[in-house]
Amino acid sequence: MSDMELFIDGILVYYNVFIKERRRENAMKRKTITFLKLALCGMMTSFAVTGCGSSADTGKTEIEIVQYKPEAANYFATVEEEFNATHDDIHLTISSPNDAMTILRTRFIREDYPDIIGIGGDINYSYFVDADILSDVSDYPGLQNIKQAYIDIDEALEFVPKDGTFAVPYVANAAGVLYNRDMFQEHGWEIPETWEELNALCDAIQAEGILPFYFGFKDTWTCLAPWNAMAVDLSPSDTTKQVNRGQTTFSAEYRELSERYLSLLQYGPKDPFAYNYNDACTAFARGESAMYPIGSYAVPQILSVNPDLNVDSFVMPASDTKDGNTLNSGIDLQFCVTADCPNKEAAYEVLDFLLADENLQKYIDAQNAVPCKEGAFKLAPMLDGMSEYIAAGNMTDYQDHYYPSEMAVDAQLQTFLLNKDVDAFLTKFDTDWLRYNRDIIRMVQEYEKEHGSTGAQ
Amino acid sequence: MTEKKSLKVSVYGPMVFLILGLSTIIFPLYMTVMIAFKQPSEMTNSISGILSLPKTWSLSNFREAMVVTDFWRSLGNSLLITAVTVALSLALHSLMGYALGRNKAHSKFYSFVYLFIVSGMFVPFAILMMPLAKQTAELHLANWAGVIILYVVFYMPMNILLYSGYLVNIPIALEEAARVDGASTWTTYWKIIFPIMKPMHATVAVLTALAVWNDVMTPLVIMAGSGKNTLPLAQLNFQSQFGTNYNLAFASYLLSLIPILIFYVICQKQILNGVVNGAVK
Amino acid sequence: MKNDRQRTFLMITIPILALFICFNTIPLIRGVIYSFTNFKGFGSYSWVGIRNYIDLFSDGRVGKSYLFTFKLAIVTTIVVNVLSLVLALALNSKIRAKSFFRGAYFLPNILGALVVGYIFNYFFTYILPAVAEMMGMNSTSILSDPKSAWIGIVVVCAWQAIAMNTIIYISGLQTVPEDVYEAGGLDGATGWKQFKYLTFPLIIPFFSINMVLCVKNFLMVFDQIMALTKGGPAQSTESVSYLIYNNGMSGGQFGFQSANAVVFFILIVCVSVAQMKFANSKEEQL
Repeated sequence: MSDMELFIDGILVYYNVFIKERRRENAMKRKTITFLKLALCGMMTSFAVTGCGSSADTGKTEIEIVQYKPEAANYFATVEEEFNATHDDIHLTISSPNDAMTILRTRFIREDYPDIIGIGGDINYSYFVDADILSDVSDYPGLQNIKQAYIDIDEALEFVPKDGTFAVPYVANAAGVLYNRDMFQEHGWEIPETWEELNALCDAIQAEGILPFYFGFKDTWTCLAPWNAMAVDLSPSDTTKQVNRGQTTFSAEYRELSERYLSLLQYGPKDPFAYNYNDACTAFARGESAMYPIGSYAVPQILSVNPDLNVDSFVMPASDTKDGNTLNSGIDLQFCVTADCPNKEAAYEVLDFLLADENLQKYIDAQNAVPCKEGAFKLAPMLDGMSEYIAAGNMTDYQDHYYPSEMAVDAQLQTFLLNKDVDAFLTKFDTDWLRYNRDIIRMVQEYEKEHGSTGAQ
Repeated sequence: MTEKKSLKVSVYGPMVFLILGLSTIIFPLYMTVMIAFKQPSEMTNSISGILSLPKTWSLSNFREAMVVTDFWRSLGNSLLITAVTVALSLALHSLMGYALGRNKAHSKFYSFVYLFIVSGMFVPFAILMMPLAKQTAELHLANWAGVIILYVVFYMPMNILLYSGYLVNIPIALEEAARVDGASTWTTYWKIIFPIMKPMHATVAVLTALAVWNDVMTPLVIMAGSGKNTLPLAQLNFQSQFGTNYNLAFASYLLSLIPILIFYVICQKQILNGVVNGAVK
Repeated sequence: MKNDRQRTFLMITIPILALFICFNTIPLIRGVIYSFTNFKGFGSYSWVGIRNYIDLFSDGRVGKSYLFTFKLAIVTTIVVNVLSLVLALALNSKIRAKSFFRGAYFLPNILGALVVGYIFNYFFTYILPAVAEMMGMNSTSILSDPKSAWIGIVVVCAWQAIAMNTIIYISGLQTVPEDVYEAGGLDGATGWKQFKYLTFPLIIPFFSINMVLCVKNFLMVFDQIMALTKGGPAQSTESVSYLIYNNGMSGGQFGFQSANAVVFFILIVCVSVAQMKFANSKEEQL
């Protein structure tokens, strides 16, 4: 019996005594007490049921996955069904809740860990690795087929280098510029390959009376999309790590980036801060602009408004030379086995099933994703303009995967785009960074002192 | 003559005001209904587009929304949680409001308990969230029963504030009369005070039911992983950062609005038919 | 007899108080403990003493959020109470279709945050600027300007909250006996005079309840911010609750934001106790 049951029992006894004392009194009162008693009893029974009787013993190994992409819920429901139909010894449950991060955090605090979690390669992953929540999966044979570039990205995400591999990258996404292919063909516009060409293209589009870009800056997170796509071209991929080691400042690394970003505003709508992500998707889908600088994840929303839109994408050409450009691509979904998982063998079997070529291809088709696994997969047509970079492996992770969310870099970017003050923005970025990351910086510097290495990631 | 005029003003004045105010409600409601019937491909950013009627009046959005949210089961969970919470609130909070309301003026202890509980209203939920997630799990309460207990505790401050405020206007003479007849305090409460607070019961029922019905955070945090959904939790399925199906979502919200609206209409009759006017002499 | 009364009151109070302490006070104390750590919400953590509290008072973002929250709460409380009192009087007068009106005015309160957010975003982004343009005025969305975005939040908060406050005022008006008006009518008290000298003094307890609930609800404003602006533009509409939730729960600042929550809690309790003391003294005067 738990404390709670004892407590409720105490109340019940208390009220029982109460009843006896006043038995002579009228029925009205008794009815109320009975009601209270019933209510409390009802609660008690429900504790008993959920408290001890939840695990139905079927002799099967239970594997539970919680993954954070609710838009892929249908895919995972099918996978769950197919897996359970073909496996007698393992029973798989996959949940794809909205707000999965809140759910994961609350489950972690009550030490109720799912066996596998599906998360993105962002700072949450860094936190989870740091908190020793994830287990080392370097003995998982399937890792051999994963592209090295993505395993490196995961390694770079660790605050301080840690022995082992803690995630199996599944799919990546890519961010650049979406464009209206039909509109481009009609006007004979070419895909730009340098910063100069991009500006010339925007001028040409504007000259035709068409809006070059749409922005949905009312939703602050969309401010990060062009920022990330340009940052990979203009600043080192490990900028944040260099800052943490005290080797450089954002004022130095992000200046050109900030100035170029600001200059894009002239090609957008008059009041970009009035429109949210959804407005911008709708406007682009309705042909109100020629381009929309956002990730491939926006395509389903755009196509839901206008299924006939012929949309393609290209790499954001923020650099002055074509060779200076790289595709902004990060891990969108990866699977981590938790340290608490009692049966790793079974978990690996589930991972094998998820990574099977036909299943992965289904995911790619449904979500326009880029696979992290080697092999001949068919990519969605809206990634055509980026395929060259994908094939060559010329990809760099999102800078914002290293930003702590509480620093609200997205909101700071919005402020910057409103006020247009590069110096103020960069100064604040530097001071805020030191403030929000001081525990991490201290950890990094302690590690450096111990290991003496400066260059290694 | 003047008397007639003022009578007219007092009848038509409120009416005109109410009808004017109504437009601020009809307009958003109109938009909600239109969007609930439209298909995603009919969504535009132009004003004429959003105000236009849907191309076809089909219930397909509603049907699909019911499938996505597993409507009947989620509705059942929501109804169960709301009904039990309201019943417990009426019984426990009115009792507590009575005990505190009748004593806080002359007793230091009750006045302290009153302030102690009422100040619980101001605790930001975010600070309770993590400890509660842990505590309910330790007590094996990470289920709907735990959610109900938490609701009874969360809405206790507001309801006690309401009940004890209402008691101020109920003369203590009523109870004294009953006491002279030999009834105990307990009997007096259930026979005289409890019925007399009917308008306040209705108010408390409406406010508590509404808060519980729409709440997302508590079930999200407490029931996470239990495989049970309430209606608002199920409705989260419509939105994600990268895409929201507003048409389905609006259809679903319209559906979930109906039960609580019916409940409100029933309760507001009770607020109206308050017996206080007759009893307070 | 007196003894029985006191014992009954204790029998009622103690178990309910125990329940309250178990699920409100104890978790609160646990939360307060986290405010002295650098807990991220999961994993290990260490004690940092009062560092979080010191940081709190030097954090410009937190300071700004307090100013915004109080500005919003004061303005909205006034707007809501004036409007809902008028509305309650109108709904309580002898009018036709009373049930219909009461039902209709209740609707804003039950529409979910997603719906309200979408509709009002649309209204502020497209409809209002179009209307302004027709009238030859500046036609940008008020939500895109850091100086005016808070007005949009006030409008939506008020629109949603009026229903609840009206219900409380209506139930208050029910406690005013008919004969008070009859007697007042004989003395020539009608209209404004009747309200000021007869009705209002009798519903003061409900007025103070509404004031306390309003101030509390609007100081803790969260849903409307999430639905309308998510703290933007330029972080001009970040409320305290928004910061606590967003940085504490979704971000990695759980410890720091717990400290923020503790300070915020103490502040609201002070404001509300002052309010109630003030209201009590008013009640006693009558």
